[in-house]
Amino acid sequence: MKTPKNTETRTWPGAIPLESLYTAGLGGQVFFKALKERGEIVGTRCASCKQVYVPARVFCERCFAELSEQVTVRPQGTLVSFTFSNFNRDAQPLARPQALALVRLDEASTVLLHYLLKVTDPTQVSIGAQVKMVIKPKAKRTGSILDIEGFVLA
Amino acid sequence: MSMRRVAVVGAGMTKFMRRALETPKELAWLAAKGALDSAGMTLDQIQGVVHGTAPDAFDGLHMKGEYLSEGSGGWKKPYLRCYVGGGTGVYAIAQGWFQVASGLFDTALVVCEEKMSTCLPHPQAAFLTIFDNITEQPLKPNLLWIFALEQNRYMARHGIRVEEIARVSVKNKRNALGHPSAQLGAELTVKDVLASEIMAWPVHRLMVSPTSDGAAAVVLAAEDVAKRVTDKPVWIQGVGWCLDTTYWTNRDLYYPEYVEKAAWMAYHMAGIREPRQEINIAEPYDPFAYKELHHLEGLQLAPKGKAPQLLADGVFDRDGDLPSSPSGGLLGVGNPIAAAGTMKVCELFWQLRGEAGPRQVPGKPRRGVAQAWGDLMQVGTVVVMGTAQL
Ligand SMILES: [Zn+2]
Repeated sequence: MKTPKNTETRTWPGAIPLESLYTAGLGGQVFFKALKERGEIVGTRCASCKQVYVPARVFCERCFAELSEQVTVRPQGTLVSFTFSNFNRDAQPLARPQALALVRLDEASTVLLHYLLKVTDPTQVSIGAQVKMVIKPKAKRTGSILDIEGFVLA
Repeated sequence: MSMRRVAVVGAGMTKFMRRALETPKELAWLAAKGALDSAGMTLDQIQGVVHGTAPDAFDGLHMKGEYLSEGSGGWKKPYLRCYVGGGTGVYAIAQGWFQVASGLFDTALVVCEEKMSTCLPHPQAAFLTIFDNITEQPLKPNLLWIFALEQNRYMARHGIRVEEIARVSVKNKRNALGHPSAQLGAELTVKDVLASEIMAWPVHRLMVSPTSDGAAAVVLAAEDVAKRVTDKPVWIQGVGWCLDTTYWTNRDLYYPEYVEKAAWMAYHMAGIREPRQEINIAEPYDPFAYKELHHLEGLQLAPKGKAPQLLADGVFDRDGDLPSSPSGGLLGVGNPIAAAGTMKVCELFWQLRGEAGPRQVPGKPRRGVAQAWGDLMQVGTVVVMGTAQL
């Protein structure tokens, strides 16, 4: 970013100098460990609310129960919505549109946001389509949501 | 509920603009002073001050609420900053309302401000860290993704065409031509809107509200004070708010259930059973064109999926059966986040007093609803205002 200049008594440049170290959490560690080590998608179930939360969580937001029952779900699901974004985070145009997907995995109650791969145009995609998750090979996994490359149409 | 009656007795706002020369404090002061002047009151008559402003990052400093306290009239007074993201501008009214309704104070000044132009290279940057930092941030999401995904889901669920959504931009930008504070009033056609570039499919640039600097404020007063200072108090008949899960992906985005819950909370308080028959004006939150339709449905002012047809039929025009965003909305007046919701409350105040000038809705409207939306797209905030003291 170009450093803006002081403009004739009207404005003054500055920044909030901060970086963050975010915490995966007790639930997040379960999810990311399974993803990194076994290439599996792990959630937790609340039996009384009949919810399977993916990624795994330690508590149910509906009834406040502690969730200890882990479930491994299959890496496939249904496209709940999609978009093709033409701009980046700084509101600058992208060279190629980036496709995004909301996916409900077949055995989960919750929905994941991720990239939609190998499509270039909205006409190739429709809500309700079946999709498969693409997981990186083990050697390339680091324990991040980016260990998932995205989804492809099944 | 044994609450005191509370009225809005004054309203004021700054111009909404891309980059104001005023500091955030100065913007807040302009709006607050305008509201006090319109009530014929002075700061020493105000007992409590409620301030609303969205993410600190917009103004580039932390403790933004404290920074804005003097501009909002908070010097040596009980001062409260409240915050539910974009929903703040209407939520702040509820915060002021219960300070007065409870009997704690006889008067409260509610001031909302945003100065988005401080942010470089673009105010969108301030929204980036609202996403879950473990499961979403690594994808480098931009805010438009959410709205595009939601609009697509809404359209697909009901078979709505993008042209039908574009009509909202046409209506609101036209309505804004009559607003002295408006940033983006314009006479446009559906064709113009669809010819504007696609930001994130199916969202076109002219379906997105601008980033803005601005402030808006109202003065609230208990019944006896209200009747002393004005012949035309506008009563707060109901307030409501509701938060859904922050895991935004897990909601079915086609329908804002949290708005429905917030609306019914306010409607029950106001004794409203048939919102479509009992409400004369709506000011739903419209940062994106589809959101006005989405929110009208959540507010129970259109059946699910039917708002686009009612819009096409002219129901929501300024001279229609249920004028919606007669102010010009966020799409036309502008979107300084927290101030935008309060601008909608100001509009109801002016409309219900018959003081909206060229924007005046015909037929002496008696009751209106204003609504805002925000946080991680999970909060609905609602206020019902009317000329009748219930
Ligand atoms: Zn539960």
